[in-house]
Amino acid sequence: MSVAVPMPAAVPSMAGRVVLVTGAAAGVGRGVTEAFGAAGAVVALGVRRPEAARDAADAVRAAGGTAMVLRCDVTDAAQSAAAIAAVVEAHGRLDALVHNAVSNRSSEPTDFESASLELWEEHASVSVRAAYRLAVQAHPHLKASGGALLLMTSPAGIEGSAPLPFYSAVKAAQRGFVRALAREWGPDGIRVNSVAPLAVSPALEHLKATDPERVARLEGLVPLGWLGDPAADIGPPSVFLCSDAARYVTGQTLVVSGGRFTGL
Amino acid sequence: MADEGTTVVVGGDRGIGRALVEALAARGRAVGVVPSALDLADADAVRAELAAAAGDGAMTTAVLAHLDPAGFVATPLVALDEAAWDAAAERSLRAAVVVLQQIHAVAPDGAAVVVVLPTVAGVGVPGLVPLCTAVEGIRVMAKALARRWGARRITVNTVEVELSAFLLGDDEPGAGVDLPSVPVLGSPALPAGSVAADVAGLVDLLGSADAAGLTGALLAADRGTVMLP
Repeated sequence: MSVAVPMPAAVPSMAGRVVLVTGAAAGVGRGVTEAFGAAGAVVALGVRRPEAARDAADAVRAAGGTAMVLRCDVTDAAQSAAAIAAVVEAHGRLDALVHNAVSNRSSEPTDFESASLELWEEHASVSVRAAYRLAVQAHPHLKASGGALLLMTSPAGIEGSAPLPFYSAVKAAQRGFVRALAREWGPDGIRVNSVAPLAVSPALEHLKATDPERVARLEGLVPLGWLGDPAADIGPPSVFLCSDAARYVTGQTLVVSGGRFTGL
Repeated sequence: MADEGTTVVVGGDRGIGRALVEALAARGRAVGVVPSALDLADADAVRAELAAAAGDGAMTTAVLAHLDPAGFVATPLVALDEAAWDAAAERSLRAAVVVLQQIHAVAPDGAAVVVVLPTVAGVGVPGLVPLCTAVEGIRVMAKALARRWGARRITVNTVEVELSAFLLGDDEPGAGVDLPSVPVLGSPALPAGSVAADVAGLVDLLGSADAAGLTGALLAADRGTVMLP
């Protein structure tokens, strides 16, 4: 998937910087970690099952970065606190935290009218409550480094998706969180931004093999003509927002969708 | 003027909701109230109250004008424990899910749903991170529902009012006195007026046949203050 597409040469440098990415084992999270690796960063991969992140960690190393894998179920406050503490203990600092993890059911069409609050909780606990919790837990370290918090949101959180109403709501909630927290933490020297990506997912990879015509139709909706590669297309803009190159950018959502979504 | 039928205001017992109920009544509308005091995460209770508030008429317009008061108490995010975060952010989101589900169950085809929110999330307000989180989540939830419910000709739109106006006339904690100012570029473009009357006019319009083609929109009843997006 991501290894087939070459990384752009001009990824901003993150040499000497330490980044924690949640949900880093697959999809966009894995791609973003690879881009941070290409930028020369120390990348901590926060995942629920460390054994599932071995390939992703190898990809970070192959790209030129340093990788460490940490157990970090973001719905478990103790685990996320321990993961952040382990990163700082191992490397002495935390320069960026990227919250990418989403509910396993995030791409599952939801019948809003009859959906349960238990399902809502699955979405909200990962996207909304964990964003609050990770931010608070990382705050002293990001303040010390003059670092950045980055949330991976979604175009659905801007436009509102009919089949994904819960996902749309929690991803929009993240954007409200980002705007307000950017203003609150600006005086601490911490930048807070989000990326709304359109990217190839493992599900789409499968679809490519089984229904290439449908994938071609989806690609036809993208002005640039292809669905984003998690590493080569979504990664560099994500690195940019966490790098010194974006030191004057905060409170923003960068839509990385090949021009598919222009309504922000 | 809106079609005949009842306008039910969820949260019509306080703040902008209460003021809106009075303003709609002054315009001659039949108005019912579902109070904020109700447990808005209790689907059965919400549905029963909606039906009762509609009375003998059909609920042709439903207004959601409720956010948990805890969200309006300005607090740095790092000072919030998990319970405080839940009260200030997630409780309002859960209430919106349940209330909107039950509005869909009770409302007839062709009804208008109006969500009233404060103009905080478009710009972001320091000290009110949980409120901004909830408000933007609910606003885009309404857009997703506008797409879903269009087949039943149910429109879903959002009206935003200034932060202080949302709490209009209330004595809730933080109401009107300790609120942080919303970062805006300038004063309202229009002279001051009655927020409740402004919103009532828009609710009436959105509930009328004249607005049958408008859904998923954000209308700012702030006299030209924020002007986003």
